[in-house]
Amino acid sequence: MTILTRKFAFLPAICKLGAKSLLAFTVAAMLVSCEGIFQNIYDNPPPETEEKAGRLLIDASSWNDWYYLDFKALDDSLKKDKRYNPSDAVVRISIPTEETQKSDNPDSQNADGIYVYWYDVYGAGISHNVFQQFIPTETQEEPSAWSVAFHRNNVRTNGASVFETEFTRMEDLPESSLSFADAPFVEDEWNETDVWVLREQMLNGIIGNQGIRTNRVLSNWLTVEIPPIPPAFSLNNHVFIVRLPEGTYAALQLENYQSEKGTKCVLTINYIYPY
Amino acid sequence: MKHSFALLILLTALSLSLHAEEEPADSIRRVSRKAATNSAEQTLDEVVVTGTQTYKWKADAPVLTRVISASDIEKTDATDVEELLSQEIPGAEFSYAMNQLKHLNLNGFGGQSILFLVDGERLSGETMDDVDFARLTMSNVQRVEIVKESGSALYGSNAAGGIINIITKEQTEPLRIDVDGRVAKHGESRFRGAVGTSNGSVSNTLNVERTARETYSVHNGESPAAQVYTTVFGNQKWNLNDKISFTPNEKFKITGHAGYYFQEVYRTIDTPERYRDFAASLRATWDITEKDNLVASYIFDQYDKSDFQRLTGYDIRDYSNVKNSFRTLYNHFRDDGDIFTAGAEYAYDYLLNTHLEGPSKNQYSCSSFAQYDWILSFKWEMLSALRFDYFSEGKNSQITPKISLRYQPQPELNLRMGYGRGFRAPALKEKYYLFDMEGIWIIKGNPQLKAELSHNFNVSADYKKGNYGITASAYYNKVQNKISTSIPHMLPNEGNQLFLEYINLDSYSVYGSEIMLQGHWENGFGTSLSYAYTHEQLPSDKEGNSISSPYIPARKHALMMRFDWEKQTSEKRKLRVTLNGRMLSSVKSAEYIDYYDISKGMRQVEYPAYMLWKLSACESFDDKFKLTLAVDNLLNYKPEYHYMNTPVTDGANVMIGCAFCFNKQR
Repeated sequence: MTILTRKFAFLPAICKLGAKSLLAFTVAAMLVSCEGIFQNIYDNPPPETEEKAGRLLIDASSWNDWYYLDFKALDDSLKKDKRYNPSDAVVRISIPTEETQKSDNPDSQNADGIYVYWYDVYGAGISHNVFQQFIPTETQEEPSAWSVAFHRNNVRTNGASVFETEFTRMEDLPESSLSFADAPFVEDEWNETDVWVLREQMLNGIIGNQGIRTNRVLSNWLTVEIPPIPPAFSLNNHVFIVRLPEGTYAALQLENYQSEKGTKCVLTINYIYPY
Repeated sequence: MKHSFALLILLTALSLSLHAEEEPADSIRRVSRKAATNSAEQTLDEVVVTGTQTYKWKADAPVLTRVISASDIEKTDATDVEELLSQEIPGAEFSYAMNQLKHLNLNGFGGQSILFLVDGERLSGETMDDVDFARLTMSNVQRVEIVKESGSALYGSNAAGGIINIITKEQTEPLRIDVDGRVAKHGESRFRGAVGTSNGSVSNTLNVERTARETYSVHNGESPAAQVYTTVFGNQKWNLNDKISFTPNEKFKITGHAGYYFQEVYRTIDTPERYRDFAASLRATWDITEKDNLVASYIFDQYDKSDFQRLTGYDIRDYSNVKNSFRTLYNHFRDDGDIFTAGAEYAYDYLLNTHLEGPSKNQYSCSSFAQYDWILSFKWEMLSALRFDYFSEGKNSQITPKISLRYQPQPELNLRMGYGRGFRAPALKEKYYLFDMEGIWIIKGNPQLKAELSHNFNVSADYKKGNYGITASAYYNKVQNKISTSIPHMLPNEGNQLFLEYINLDSYSVYGSEIMLQGHWENGFGTSLSYAYTHEQLPSDKEGNSISSPYIPARKHALMMRFDWEKQTSEKRKLRVTLNGRMLSSVKSAEYIDYYDISKGMRQVEYPAYMLWKLSACESFDDKFKLTLAVDNLLNYKPEYHYMNTPVTDGANVMIGCAFCFNKQR
């Protein structure tokens, strides 16, 4: 016991000294923010990208919906009210996923339904895929009038065709769409591998896609690559010319595909209608 | 727990009685702070501090410590701690986690259980559970100390699997300027500059480093057995560090440090990911008397992550971890060689993370510890330590004991054994995460998580005679309540949405051994051979279900070899040739056959073995200019599949470097 007392006789003085030192440092350190410094080097963008005539914001991030836009209705609304919000012209309609009848394979080519594919997401990439199963569903509902529809990185048109220009600025476009009259416009075509809807088996590389006609040229404005995981998105900022069935034209450009919080497939679109 | 305390008390009492009978040990066993910081480099390599928080001769330290010296670092030409450990430590393997962030497995312990320190201070931030290794640059590093046993009794949480302490250089010469550059394939480049000045009482060292690499693709064969990567993302990094020391008199010293780190990773062209760190610290060291020494420090460390949206120009932060810590450490050196150490810490931890349930969380922790290093006799030494930690989040408190024994039957031989308890307090993210991971599943935190506990037992022997040395060690760890993610499952009223919740797993064990042989000869040849065996048991949850670990387990066998030869080719020219080899065995990992139907069981995925060699030659002129030519992956190994734990290589890589050093002696 005596040995112990002798060994630790210095402790009380040291405890006092330690407490004083800790206090001094604590006071000095109170000057520094507990929640960090240099917060102003980061951006706090406005909650929504500003919309106006010629610029449209569509949150197409949902896997389960198409977002329809009628250029004519939008143009009419803007003519009536210059403060009209272009995104108010967008109509959301869900993708049908409920099975209507039992079937292992589509009875006819291009039948309405969900086409389940396995994708080589961990290996060669999503361009390598194998058909697994067909689930018949109701036909996709559509508004009475519409021009183009958006689903994440997919775009379809209502009987229109699309040409990708080399222009990357709307203001550089020729004055008239007649300049593109002889361009090779491409119509929508059947697609059962890109409109990803059901993702319950996603981790096994299995995705249920809606079988539907999409426009591969216009959909090329936003491409998704897997791997890597999470997917890598890349934007094509070329201006696309849409030739509508009634003979009018629209020019479209994807300006951004992310929300201010970084959510993918929130589309900021520059447009000219009629072009 | 009760048994641990009983053992501690028993051994303490035993050592006291022994101490009373034995004659006092030689006080040369301890090293003064000045000797430890101002001596020649060769002496510094023989001094260690990490295992006891006091400077000790390496051969006399009661805790086995592996030292990677400045000259070892130079031989590896490592840029950061990842490159260094990959070439020097056989049981260390770095693999890719999500977003190609790096995950470390060191002898069966992941990055959350290996505590990384810089000059004894812990770091903030994590990237997929590990610290950001890229910020731990090897510029201006004096040595790296590695303790592979539980350090929780001295350092607290996250040290159950060991401690890696990076110790930076002290500027002693009046002026020193170092500049070096290195280029390699895939646009890899490294440029470093350092300026150090000292007038005796004030010294300052400024280091700047920039590294870069281009994005490139790697080829994979058909039908890989598991996830592969096809692209290696490019990046650019900046590291700036300034260290200033003021020594007004022999008894008092103040050291300040400021650091900035920036990394941009080009995972996508449109939205490069950015990582930043702002660090500052102030440390005062006071030799109160010849026998008493007090250290007080304050550390600020802020680690941020942001996404730069190139299209809009917005740089949007989604993560910030800020740590403010205060530490005091007191040492009392007795004439008989014993050392008493005590310390206290306060840390405030702030976390901003857009994946949290709520924008931000914070917690504080208070700790105190005491350690007694008992020189029982010329042959016996015992170290015992006890620490108390309190975390405000969940009102979690931990008491952590440790005891180590060293027996030196002859001056060349040291036998050591020890027991240490380890723990890891649940991280804020593990308690409060709630986010949809890209539609795959929802990651959900668990506020009820308990701290992860471990019991570490270790034995070692090291023998050093003349130019030869051999070290052998073995360890056994019993881990309880390991924190991990659960089996993917659905929750009531949540439809078919999958959830991954954080849970405490059932007990499991990790054990292994390591042997290292070192030697050098008068003709300039030197060699180092080390082998590590690791057995990592597959953990299961409390219900007995096998759990697929988020990371690939440790490889059972790892072998490292280094052969170097140095020759003075003329009066002013010196040539050094180094050959480094690394062989890692294959490893099997249990993974779910179907994540959505775990009743299908698990499959064993085998990840292949590999071997890598690096040959480098360095010609130095008058110790001022150096030219280096190196071939990494000398045998041109091209992996068939690039799995997450496959080395990042697509064949041989030629590296060319040159360095200039100006050194003005006092």
